[in-house]
Amino acid sequence: MSSKRTPHPPSGPRPPVHLSSSLTISDTAQLTGTHTIEIRSESVIHPRARLESSVGRLAIGRRCVVHERATLGAAPVSSAGLGRVEGVEVAVTLADYVTVEVGAVVEAGETVVGEGTVVGVGARVGAGAVVGKHCTLTPYTEIAAGEVVPDFTVVYSNGLRRTDKRGVAELKNKGMVRQIDVLRRMIPSNPAKFA
Amino acid sequence: MAALTPYTYIQCPCSDFSTLGRSSDPNLPAGTEADDDDDRTFDPRAPRANYTLYPLEYLLYCEDCHQIRCPRCIAEEIVTYYCPNCLFEVPSSNLKSEGNRCTRSCFQCPVCIGPLTVTSVETKPDPSLLAAPDNAATPHAGPYALICSYCAWSSAEVGIQFEKPNGIHAQLAKLRNGGSTRLTAKERKERRKDPSFRPQPATEGQGTPNEAEDLDLETQFANLKAFHQGQLANPNSADTGLSALGDLGFSSPTSLSRIMSIYTGGSLQDKKAKSRVGAMREALDANEGLQLAKLDESAAIEALRSEGHGSTASAAQLADQPPNLGEEHLHGRGRFTSELRPIPYLLRTKRSKRCPVCRHIISKPEAKVQTTRFRIRLVAGSYIPSIAIRPLSLSGGTGTGTGTSASGPAVPGALLEPLRPAHYLLTFKNPIFETIKVTLGAPAKTPGRLASKVTVLCPEFEIDANTDVWDEALNQGGGSERDKRRRRGEDGAAAAGGGGGAGSQSNINHQNQLEVGKIWERGRNWVSIVVEVVPASLRLEEGDPPLAEDEDVLEIPMFVRVEWEGEAGGDEVGSVATRDREAREKRELAYWCVLGLGRIRP
Repeated sequence: MSSKRTPHPPSGPRPPVHLSSSLTISDTAQLTGTHTIEIRSESVIHPRARLESSVGRLAIGRRCVVHERATLGAAPVSSAGLGRVEGVEVAVTLADYVTVEVGAVVEAGETVVGEGTVVGVGARVGAGAVVGKHCTLTPYTEIAAGEVVPDFTVVYSNGLRRTDKRGVAELKNKGMVRQIDVLRRMIPSNPAKFA
Repeated sequence: MAALTPYTYIQCPCSDFSTLGRSSDPNLPAGTEADDDDDRTFDPRAPRANYTLYPLEYLLYCEDCHQIRCPRCIAEEIVTYYCPNCLFEVPSSNLKSEGNRCTRSCFQCPVCIGPLTVTSVETKPDPSLLAAPDNAATPHAGPYALICSYCAWSSAEVGIQFEKPNGIHAQLAKLRNGGSTRLTAKERKERRKDPSFRPQPATEGQGTPNEAEDLDLETQFANLKAFHQGQLANPNSADTGLSALGDLGFSSPTSLSRIMSIYTGGSLQDKKAKSRVGAMREALDANEGLQLAKLDESAAIEALRSEGHGSTASAAQLADQPPNLGEEHLHGRGRFTSELRPIPYLLRTKRSKRCPVCRHIISKPEAKVQTTRFRIRLVAGSYIPSIAIRPLSLSGGTGTGTGTSASGPAVPGALLEPLRPAHYLLTFKNPIFETIKVTLGAPAKTPGRLASKVTVLCPEFEIDANTDVWDEALNQGGGSERDKRRRRGEDGAAAAGGGGGAGSQSNINHQNQLEVGKIWERGRNWVSIVVEVVPASLRLEEGDPPLAEDEDVLEIPMFVRVEWEGEAGGDEVGSVATRDREAREKRELAYWCVLGLGRIRP
């Protein structure tokens, strides 16, 4: 446990990165793998977030927030997910305004998380799953490999689902902008470390 | 198989068979039953035992009756009602008028029961993205909705929005799902006059406009009540045009009088009788509280078809719904999630507990909601000795042959080998400030189908008082009288050295053997004794019923009798306290307990 406090520098070669100049990335974030990691403008990568591109490219959209200990591009755990990692080009795609909360895992293998979606604390999105726009995955939700979640779905951790009919996507995006504004003042950014 | 941690459950004396039986058969002299009970071994597997055994922590103790009190044998009184969400204390007078739910702005999500927060749903002018932080300072305005932060449910989804961010409960009471406000009686009356509000003329040719009017439950009940009261007060005021119909109705009192008149043959008095009894008619329109059931469910079927099963509310969600008096009518209600409403928090209570016999308070929480402390709390743990169970491993020591080839499982929770003797250490800890004398009684064989053999090696011993730790330390330095007493108390066991930890350590070294009638180890206020068990074999005979759940757990019923000399007096009011203040009174407490040692290996 104590070793986690001071993250080791990633062993092996650094992954090629394609970072926007306006993003915020902590220097204790861990970027590993061999494929390109692309992060677009105004996204925030918290300290100790893990981005793994060993399977394929990671594409993170604009104004995404990846919280600490969240893992993008993790190796799949299920056998169904393992079948999907062969020959993928883009391991994980996060559209704009996606929040990946603390400890959540998005597995590699053409996984797509749609715009404005919140991946809750400790949730797991299986390899090849396609989560729609403005979904809410509540804490500890599991999305199976290859599953397609329609837009505006609220997935409860007990498997129940519901459609979010609030129509507050705009408001949510605005709230996110404000949050990012605060975060970029709180988190010292050091993109030069990864370049 | 799941490992089992050894446990001790204590049987509350309130479930004593003798006391239970007495009330049902008062003719029998009480003594005979008590004798009966003395002979009987408590069976922890009896179905009744499930409800009588408690861990020590659950038990309370009445200081005046000198008896254990379990959650079943205490009288509870409610000290305060409060909302678990806002921790606001609700006076009990409000409770009667406003019900048992929080009437402030505390609501639960009807979908996931998460707490709801009031949020403005108004769209603000576009803040220029990251630039202007002063935008955040703009005051919230416009309609508000209750939002669940867990699952993003919003009351706007079911069409409920509020004008003000406070007093949500009152606002909600006036709102129906879909946003339409509940009509007051006055508005209803005005509406009826206003032709623009008149419901569509009955195109199907059935149902008068009055019948089509929807009343909410509360209004309907009020209308019905008013109507029937009017009928009762003045039965003859009923319009005569309907009397012919009323005569035929089952519910009409005239029918009864008419039939009775046939039997009595008083056809001449018929007319008179009729006017006496009067005709009670039924409610006829919405004004009088009549609501027709809407049997047309095509809308519900259509909704089900378009939105699917996911849009229906689950049974749990419906069960959580509080009764809503603003609801339209009972028929066909609450099947879709769109019909769910925010749930006001149920109030909780703080309760004080009394002894049912002497009415003394044995547990009383602090009345303030925010504090979790208790003013009075007489837990049994500070009055009766606690029993800790630990497997005793003899093989680890020097292992000088004592004939006992056995030892308990080395790891706590390991399986017990059938038919092989195992030893367990029972540590009794004395919580009171007097020396207590403990007498144990356990059956030689455990009750039930699988009889394991049990031997308590030292069924009678004394435990020193729970004195101050520092007293002990100070006394030890002087090699005091207390120390001597301790050695005497050893009953001849190979005691050595001073008391305390060092002494007990040397005890073990000297005597790695089991002797009947001797204490294994002893400390300041605790004593360890050894119990030997020979677990039964789980092999079943042909044709025996299979093992029941947890039947393979070795449970020993044990009767514990505790004797001590307490300070006399205080029990009886006006007892001669001056004379024998120093007099000691012998007290005893006896109860059954169950020791769960472990599972037997199949």
